[in-house]
Amino acid sequence: MSFQAANGRFIVWVTLFIGVISQIMPLPSAVDTWRPDWLLMIVLYWSIALPHRYNILTAWMLGLVLDILLGATLGVRSLAMSLVIYVAILHCQRLRNFPKWQQSLVIMLLICMYHLVIYWVEFVMQEAVFDTDLFLPAISGLVIWPWIFWILRRVRRHYKVR
Amino acid sequence: MKPIFVRGISNQFRLTLAIILSVALLVANHRLDPVRQNLSSVFSPLQYLASMPGAALDWSSESFATRNMLALQNKELLRQQLLMSERLQRFEHLRQENERLRALLGSPAYLDSRKMVAEVLEVASDPFHHYVVLNHGSRSGVFVGQPVVDAQGVVGQVVQVSEMTSRVLLLSDVSHGLPVRITRNDVRLVANGTGELDEIELRHVAKSTDIRVGDLLVTSGLGNRFPEGYPVARVLEVLTEDGQSYARVTAQPLAALDRIRYVLLIWPSPDSGVTLPNQPTAPAADQSLSEEASKIGSASPAEGTSAETTKPVTTPAATVAKPATETTSPATEVHR
Repeated sequence: MSFQAANGRFIVWVTLFIGVISQIMPLPSAVDTWRPDWLLMIVLYWSIALPHRYNILTAWMLGLVLDILLGATLGVRSLAMSLVIYVAILHCQRLRNFPKWQQSLVIMLLICMYHLVIYWVEFVMQEAVFDTDLFLPAISGLVIWPWIFWILRRVRRHYKVR
Repeated sequence: MKPIFVRGISNQFRLTLAIILSVALLVANHRLDPVRQNLSSVFSPLQYLASMPGAALDWSSESFATRNMLALQNKELLRQQLLMSERLQRFEHLRQENERLRALLGSPAYLDSRKMVAEVLEVASDPFHHYVVLNHGSRSGVFVGQPVVDAQGVVGQVVQVSEMTSRVLLLSDVSHGLPVRITRNDVRLVANGTGELDEIELRHVAKSTDIRVGDLLVTSGLGNRFPEGYPVARVLEVLTEDGQSYARVTAQPLAALDRIRYVLLIWPSPDSGVTLPNQPTAPAADQSLSEEASKIGSASPAEGTSAETTKPVTTPAATVAKPATETTSPATEVHR
């Protein structure tokens, strides 16, 4: 890996922890279908910003934690998350230099991919009903991504996370 | 700053490793249940933490309620209490009458069972599964397969228990099936979840079956999991199409599954037909016999009407005939 000592590891895990909590927080069912994928977006940010430190295996582990907490089939979200993060890391240089709107659009596509992978795996494992509500989190993600990006960049610069 | 050439293992290798691990988990999913139970126990503090903002909001709305609101609420509750106590008086009378009739017929009596109020900690934000997480676990004696009801009807059953929490599969989940019968004519059916919170379907219903829109479905107790007689759903639509071999019947669950907050966990009384986890299964045969007997007994008109009026509060459980005087505590009381 890199020769520099890791810096600000703690604050990254704090943001990821907040992501996990907001992912499982109970919400009224009307809002729930719109719940953005906080954890996925936070992992996406860190893996785009620091791909040598937060990468596919981090995503896999967090996906597994989410699977346990949501009571889903183990491995579904870890698989989807590692695939999405792989794609993001492949293009991390390009993603960093995209204008905001373009970046948000790519992130929306990645979130769609995440939900599609989950749907496919669930469909193979057992009966799953396809519903276009599946893509609502992608739309809310599109709106929220610039804010997450802005906040996490502030965090990264302030704590000099490397 | 950042290395252009990533050293160590490549991303492709990491991805392959992640995929292999995930697929291994997916394949071994059914064998991982004990591990999973321990892991849920480890992570349950997170669930408590996540439900804190909601709880704080509730608390603040309660403590900042205006005097007017409280007075209004109080009035409403008093009114309800009056109605309920009147119903309870009638119910008490009917229950005794029912027990006497059952004793006369020599058929099993209804028994009270232990119940506990539980609060919903988390609702699964997963579109493919309908789960809720409750704030009681194995420490309170919750077991896998335990029936869960709310004020209106059946909610689902416990599928996973950890120390402090338990996970309930709602009856609207696609993998949930529930044996029911129609109160009007005792036709037995199986209600399957559809993946929609406000809809369940009855599969393989012959077109000639006597089933109408508005029929009340109650648990039949035949799956040996749910005690008999809890209301489940009301028939919403009966479609008979030419070319289809069965009628398409959909029903609406009575429990408000999209806004459950408090539910009742039920411990079926040990000598009911319901199998508890650590209970010898030897007397199962005569139990099913006695359950059949209760079914025949419930066909008599007098029993049928009393069952109709007392439905939401009875906790029926088939048992070998017991003297009616033994069960005197009111059925609405929540033990513990």
